[in-house]
Amino acid sequence: MKKKVLAFVLAGTMALGLAACGNSAKQTTEPAADAPAAEEPAAEEPAAEAPAAEEPAAAGDVTEITWWAFPTFTQENANDGAGTYEQKIIDAFQAANPDIKVNLETIDFTSGPEKIVTAIEAGTVCDVLFDAPGRIIDYGKKGKLAPLDDLFTAEFAADVNNDALLQACKAGDTAYMYPISSAPFYMAFNKAMAEDAGVADLIKDGWTTDDLTTVLTALKDKGYNPGSVFCSGQGGDQGTRAFFSNLYSGSITDDAVSAYTVNDEAGVKALTYIKDAVDNGLLMNGSAYNGGDDIQNFANGQTSFTLLWSPAQPETQKALLEGSGVEFIEVTFPSEDGVAELEYLVNGFCIFDKGDEAKIAASKRFLQFICDDAEWGPKNVVRTGCYPVRQSFGNLYEGDARMTELSAWTKYYSPYYNTIDGFAEMRTYWFPMLQAVMNGDMEPKAAADDFNEKANQSIATAQAAQ
Amino acid sequence: MKKKMTPFGVFSIAILSVLTVLFVFPFYWIISGSFKSQSDAVKQPPQWWPENPTLGNYEKLLIQNPAGQWLLNSVLICLVTMLLVCLTSSLAGYVLAKKRFYGQKILFSIFIVAMALPKQVVLVPLVRIIRGMHMHDTLWAVILPLVGWPFGVFLMKQFSENIPTELLESAKIDGCSELRTFASIAFPIVKPGFAALAIFTFINTWNDYFMQLVMLTSRKNLTISLGVATLQAELSTNYGLIMAGAALAAVPIVTVFLVFQKYFTQGITMGAVKG
Amino acid sequence: MSKTNKIRMRETLVSYLFLAPVLIFFIIFVLVPMGMGLLTSFFNYTMLDFTFIGIDNYVRMFKDPVFVKSLKNTLIIVVGSVPVVVAFALFVASQTYERNAFTRSFFRCVFFLPVVTGTVAVVVVWKWIYDPLSGIMNYVLNDALGIIERDIMWLGDKKYALISIIIILLTTAVGQPIILYIASMGNIDKSLVEAAEVDGANKFQVFWSIKWPSLLPTTLYIVVITTINSFQCFSLIQLLTSGGPNYSTTTLMYYLYEKAFKLSEYGYANTIGVFLAVMIGLISFIQFKLLGNDVEY
Repeated sequence: MKKKVLAFVLAGTMALGLAACGNSAKQTTEPAADAPAAEEPAAEEPAAEAPAAEEPAAAGDVTEITWWAFPTFTQENANDGAGTYEQKIIDAFQAANPDIKVNLETIDFTSGPEKIVTAIEAGTVCDVLFDAPGRIIDYGKKGKLAPLDDLFTAEFAADVNNDALLQACKAGDTAYMYPISSAPFYMAFNKAMAEDAGVADLIKDGWTTDDLTTVLTALKDKGYNPGSVFCSGQGGDQGTRAFFSNLYSGSITDDAVSAYTVNDEAGVKALTYIKDAVDNGLLMNGSAYNGGDDIQNFANGQTSFTLLWSPAQPETQKALLEGSGVEFIEVTFPSEDGVAELEYLVNGFCIFDKGDEAKIAASKRFLQFICDDAEWGPKNVVRTGCYPVRQSFGNLYEGDARMTELSAWTKYYSPYYNTIDGFAEMRTYWFPMLQAVMNGDMEPKAAADDFNEKANQSIATAQAAQ
Repeated sequence: MKKKMTPFGVFSIAILSVLTVLFVFPFYWIISGSFKSQSDAVKQPPQWWPENPTLGNYEKLLIQNPAGQWLLNSVLICLVTMLLVCLTSSLAGYVLAKKRFYGQKILFSIFIVAMALPKQVVLVPLVRIIRGMHMHDTLWAVILPLVGWPFGVFLMKQFSENIPTELLESAKIDGCSELRTFASIAFPIVKPGFAALAIFTFINTWNDYFMQLVMLTSRKNLTISLGVATLQAELSTNYGLIMAGAALAAVPIVTVFLVFQKYFTQGITMGAVKG
Repeated sequence: MSKTNKIRMRETLVSYLFLAPVLIFFIIFVLVPMGMGLLTSFFNYTMLDFTFIGIDNYVRMFKDPVFVKSLKNTLIIVVGSVPVVVAFALFVASQTYERNAFTRSFFRCVFFLPVVTGTVAVVVVWKWIYDPLSGIMNYVLNDALGIIERDIMWLGDKKYALISIIIILLTTAVGQPIILYIASMGNIDKSLVEAAEVDGANKFQVFWSIKWPSLLPTTLYIVVITTINSFQCFSLIQLLTSGGPNYSTTTLMYYLYEKAFKLSEYGYANTIGVFLAVMIGLISFIQFKLLGNDVEY
């Protein structure tokens, strides 16, 4: 037995030893591997991908397409699982279009983005994706999407009547995203906690950063957990960016959206404010939480506010809110001058170009059904909890005082920078910067400089690659 | 005979007890948490025992997610991988141990070098290859690359060394075909190795989250590990429901382990020490 | 052709037939990807681009502060976990192997439980345990025992994040070593131990001069597999911290994943992969050299 033990160890460790000095051995295997490796990139052409995704369309003329949906549609009942409402849309669409079959796949904001990148590389990406410009335009710039210019008719442009919004759907002149609805991001406070702390009156449209300090201090003195400047994972970063830029009425990019301005005076002051507030227990260091965690902590009644709220959240978090009985005050981000600048979400669809014209055509019909159908279009907008991009839909929230009031906040919309070159890469630097500042790894100025340099570099890198 | 308790003995019993609690606690917390409603789950001070036990989490989990399918996928992946690994490795291990042929030494060295490398480092090219075979997002995309990993060959070679050469030779004299010799003489002798390899492969495959993460995307094709990870991504801090998923992932294999504990222990010991 | 050569040829043919199933899988799913990985590490390989850039990726890698940080974190995990695993397993095994079969199997079960619970299930329950607001860790240490003064952000504070990860890693890493040690302690020649005790050797001397040498091979095996596993630490990071805060838990494996599957920088990711492979080989080799000297063959 003992001998065998030794023999094993000898062989096992030899293996590892060989691995170390065995690079030459590995290289000898290489020429054989060259051929397939070198050919691979050539297969990059979309044509090669066509049959990869699913079985070819059946004998009839049924075109099969796949739809990947982030949980942007809210479900009608708190107990409906992800995708329940989406499946209803599909059923209605298929009833009207028997020649198209739609397969639904629900994805989440945490692991979804990685899944899409992997699937693009693996040739199994969906046909239709429901997302927002930040990622969609990036895929478009990388040549993975089918242009949707033919959907952007004169009628559509006139109906939307908002150049900034239309531009958000394009990379240069090419349209890649067909928009359905839009809404601002802002923050929300726990009403009962704010009233208990006697500061509920301060929390209102037009409030200032000083008001915020008063409110946070009062909440802390009452012993309530603050909301977090969440910065784990990658979702919801726009909430923290908007909070940050409003604090001293700064901005993320210059007006032309061509360079980042995070390290200007307002930016550094804002980071310093955040750092001090975290140290004093007014804000929570959110290094352990992602955006979704933070919203849930708020909806559970564990924290007194959240930096990531939007018109759809009460629906999305219905189960939690009902369970905890939390009531909320919705408010714009506080700013130095009392005039908020809000980031906004544009929900929309893109189509991946996998070299199959039939699928692209079918996907386009599906998009138009979701967004423009007389019955389903408006209904779908409502389920996104946002406002329609088509003006002709009118006020879909007649009699809903909350939604009507919130719709006035479109006047606070700031320049849209989510289509900037290298946006996806920039996002990977944002949370680490917040983490570095809140954990005291770097001084606010140094962290902002570092971020700004990397972020501007990401613009240059992305432009060079195009 | 009863030994006297030395102070060190008492001390070690105390430490072992504390460690036992620490090691069992996460499992207990999964099970008990899965019966807590969302509001009970986040309550401070925590409920050491679910005060209002509910099956709601399981109900939601099973209605809203194809959790049964996930479990089935995991089991399928593990079983098929196990089977293929055992089959291919025992054939290869046998000849590597018992035959003398051209290229034997080089081949064995290459296997050993490859074995030491973590398979994750080749994952990016692997995605390309799987794409070329149109297998991405199928269970095969997880199974086949794992079968290529030569750990099993190495293990089975060690076991095959035990086969007495005289037996093989006498079989040859009797006119047995090679395959017949393998099946009737070699196979029964390496059988214990099979159990070891099977258990090893099963556990490793079950826990091979990285490969599954990259290779599987469709909800219906997820494994239970991926499914639970997805639940966590979707539900963030809805811990009760996430624990129900974790329980579903853990309980079957823990049960199998407790029932077949002896074989697991043997498998692991032999897998590492024997040979 | 001589007769022996003829036999050898026949044996070769038969052998390769037996080897064919393994070789097919091995070539397609191991050798070819390895070659491809090595090759593409010399390319600027992204969704948009595929151009040869020589060793630029390697130059970039060593200048990349995040890479350096993730290398450091990986080494901390390895150095922090390997000795603890060995010491821990040695302790538990030495305290249990002489007890009755039931006790032995009880402790084996206890310490193997996290392994069979499954990585992901273990990770999600620890995420809850560590949760700053609703987790039990802060409750026990702060509210109940008062060991810490204020709630700690276990996974969000760079002082604690990596150690918190290592703790989880340890719970899943000691199961197998304990089983191995119990088995190999059972194989130690009892008469030698008794003889030494009769000669008046104390417990420590008995351990050091009789037990330890015969445990060396097992120890070496444990060290090597724990090292390799620690190097590959990924799922904990991906599910718990995404490498944060401020890259303080980014490991090489996670950084590779992030570059490849978040930012589609495939060429650069493969460069990290090549580095990781060489690194693991090298360290295992050194371990073998250091520990292997005392092992007789």
